[in-house]
Amino acid sequence: MFYREAGIFKTSYAADQALFRIPFDRIFVISVVLFAALVIPVIGNEYWLGSILIPTLIMAIATIGLNILLGYCGQLSLGTGAFMAAGAFMGYKIATAFPWMPIWAVVILGGICAAMIGVAFGLPSLRIKGFYLAVTTLAAQFFLLWLFQKVPWFVNYSISGVPTAPPREMFGYLVTGAEASVEARYLFILAFTVILALIAANLVRGRIGRTWMAIRDMDIAAELIGIKPLPTKLSAFAVSSFYCGVAGVLWAFCYINTVEATAFDIFRSFTVLFMVIIGGLGSILGCFLGAFFIFLLPIFLNSAPGWVGLEVPTELISHVEFMVFGALIVFFLIVEPHGLARLWAITKEKLRLWPFPY
Amino acid sequence: MAAVEGLQEDGHADAAQAPARDAGEIVLKLDNIELGFGGVKAINNVSFEVRKGEIRAIIGPNGAGKSSMLNCINGFYKPQKGSISFNGKTMSAMDPHFAASNGIARTFQNIALFRGMSTLDNLMTGRVLKMRRGFLWQALHWGPAQREEIKHRAFVETIIDFLEIQSIRRTPVGRLPYGLQKRVELGRALAMEPSILLLDEPMAGMNVEEKQDMSRFILDVNEEFGTTIVLIEHDMGVVMDISDRVVVLDYGRKIADGTPDEVRRNQDVIDAYLGVPHED
Amino acid sequence: MLEFWFFIEVVLNGMFAGTMYALIALGFVLIFKASGVFNFAQGFMVLFAALCFVGFLEMGLPMIVAFVLAGAIMVAWAFAVERFVLRYLVNQEPIILFMATIGIAFFLEGFGELLWGADVHPLDIGIPDGAWFVGPDGVMMVQQFDVSAAIIAGGLVAVLALFFTYTRIGRALRAVADDHQAALSVGIPLNQIWIIVWAVAGLVALVAGIIWGSRLGVQFSLSILALKALPVLILGGFTSVPGAIVGGLIIGVGEKVAEIYLGPYIGGGIEEWFAYVVAMLFLLYRPQGLFGDKIIERV
Repeated sequence: MFYREAGIFKTSYAADQALFRIPFDRIFVISVVLFAALVIPVIGNEYWLGSILIPTLIMAIATIGLNILLGYCGQLSLGTGAFMAAGAFMGYKIATAFPWMPIWAVVILGGICAAMIGVAFGLPSLRIKGFYLAVTTLAAQFFLLWLFQKVPWFVNYSISGVPTAPPREMFGYLVTGAEASVEARYLFILAFTVILALIAANLVRGRIGRTWMAIRDMDIAAELIGIKPLPTKLSAFAVSSFYCGVAGVLWAFCYINTVEATAFDIFRSFTVLFMVIIGGLGSILGCFLGAFFIFLLPIFLNSAPGWVGLEVPTELISHVEFMVFGALIVFFLIVEPHGLARLWAITKEKLRLWPFPY
Repeated sequence: MAAVEGLQEDGHADAAQAPARDAGEIVLKLDNIELGFGGVKAINNVSFEVRKGEIRAIIGPNGAGKSSMLNCINGFYKPQKGSISFNGKTMSAMDPHFAASNGIARTFQNIALFRGMSTLDNLMTGRVLKMRRGFLWQALHWGPAQREEIKHRAFVETIIDFLEIQSIRRTPVGRLPYGLQKRVELGRALAMEPSILLLDEPMAGMNVEEKQDMSRFILDVNEEFGTTIVLIEHDMGVVMDISDRVVVLDYGRKIADGTPDEVRRNQDVIDAYLGVPHED
Repeated sequence: MLEFWFFIEVVLNGMFAGTMYALIALGFVLIFKASGVFNFAQGFMVLFAALCFVGFLEMGLPMIVAFVLAGAIMVAWAFAVERFVLRYLVNQEPIILFMATIGIAFFLEGFGELLWGADVHPLDIGIPDGAWFVGPDGVMMVQQFDVSAAIIAGGLVAVLALFFTYTRIGRALRAVADDHQAALSVGIPLNQIWIIVWAVAGLVALVAGIIWGSRLGVQFSLSILALKALPVLILGGFTSVPGAIVGGLIIGVGEKVAEIYLGPYIGGGIEEWFAYVVAMLFLLYRPQGLFGDKIIERV
């Protein structure tokens, strides 16, 4: 009833191509962002901000990255963790080598380094497709993590091999490292998340996004209408790895506060993949839904037995968690490959007619 | 069956019109093309040329090498021998990107649309080569990038109007019925503003009304935009009706080339379609 | 001269590791050939099968009973996969199927550990564990365990090859591999064929799991180790049984030789990634693998 399309007429192509074509959507998204920026830091406690929202938002950035590659360009990567690690380690090198550099620039440069590495590992995508490509991205996963662990230069020859993230300020507030307040870190990450999500949404609805989707849907036809496969795929790898790299820097600098390779192992890659699948292939909104879902599910599983008065050993729950994840992946692939985002869209369809059945 | 009927039916109205139109200059010329896969020769020493503004048909039984011929023209296959002259340039094989950026567009025998994208987005991919704004503008989707987007959207809308597909603008093409998908595919090719349009069996699997619509679109494109058309089609009635000149292939060889009337009377063509008793 | 014998020893070691990779890769090939599914879960099936086997042994059952029971579980698993997953994913794109098997892998891992716990289970099924010393003055050591394992693996491959070449099921299976719809149209029951290959792949996983497990203990890292079968497949081509074996040997030998002779210079641990990088470089040169056919693309 209140959410409707009828009666909203576009008089220009500009209006028709706007990011949110229905005013209600626009207002809704803007208010969510404002709420996240203004209200949540005030009402959120240490646990909610530091242990849930911060990691979820960072993972959402990585998920957007993988979704660009997989959901939009159709190239499967199992090396997401490695590209995040690349961002984290290069960000650390840059931050320590140029202590004067503003932290936002460090994050972006870390992402750019990851993008370059991603392009290098994306090169085989010209000749190979599908799961063949997935296997070669495993090469990135195992090789890069090995490299970061074995070469002490990456950690500035730190004795422990696990250096702490350097504290950096923005607008006079400490935003990275263990001493930074959780609100400052949260807002810093939120800013990146919103801007990067906006950029991703813009990219996928423009020329570049269309070339990605063309390659995804039918690479041969795309080539014959003049889309060059290699630059297109590599641009997807670059953008995707950039997002993963940024997520990696933020993960190391603002969440775990240390720079270590084990934080980015192959299970990190799988987690991101699951977020993409459950959130919805080819949807930016889905990235957020997927990230929240995957992050909150274990917390739910851990506390749910307690609510009904059951004592379940945590070890058992972690096994069940694996099973639930596995089953959910299969379930979503079978029932709704477009994931939670599609369910959300269906809800909106219903809402459009509500309270009438049709 | 349609093939046989088309051949036997004697020329009517179009017989008079045919010779009047072969005055255009040669825009595309294929010389002694040979293409093989392993041991199989798909195309064996075939030459023909396409003149500006004409509708040129390629016909022949299944497996005669027709689609392979189109694939050579827009660079998907590289012939082993022979040369292709286009836009005053002679080369041993076409490059897909060169072909596309110089105005060769095509449709496919089995629909090759981008199934996950809407009709509008499919058509907009046809404009990709004409869009120039770089990555950063795209990321902002503002200013020049937005103006460019709108300019091309306006052009694509004229094609949507032309093909009468306004109502399916935002429908994902995977959900459209077959006939409409074929139309969208034609639209995507037209969005490239082609100088030569290659159509690979545009009417396969269509009913009579859909065929009529498609024939009308093809003739309109040819007349209104002056687009040269190279067409593969099995429906002889349609081919003989709308094309100016016809090439006939059989087992990878060219067995006839000429106006529909000439081809219809050609003994080799009749043999290829109806079969000849073998005496060996 | 000593170096030479040492080199031979390294190569032999690698070959034995390679037969193990080949054994796991074989399971992949079976499933891929029959259903076009790239089964990421194969490695997890190895772990799961081994866990079941060890679990039954620890309950005090005799070895043969444990083997049969574990085998039965793998067959039941094949039924379950067909019933709950594959049936609904017919005609989906390969990449969707691939991701579904990643889901299956996670499920299986959680399930296995739920049933049998996440500890390392030592496994001893009585394969001789001594060593022979050969060469002049016995400078070269050959593990008896490796030789037995290689013989078992070789035997299994031979049996499978005979099975697929000479039995009716084998023929049906090759028909399905060639063209699903054509096979259906001549009355080959697709679902049964899938169950059969998944069951056979499960049994192969059981054998592989037992051998790996007796060597390294049955533990989680088995499934990661089994991922190395992926680069093996890339080298060998996804549809070729001999390819899987040759690929396995190349990877096995390659990574051992690299570890011993290259490792000291660049910091060791090369084994972790060597196979993947080789596979990646190889794909650039020959995307269809050693034994695959050249792919002709059509429009």
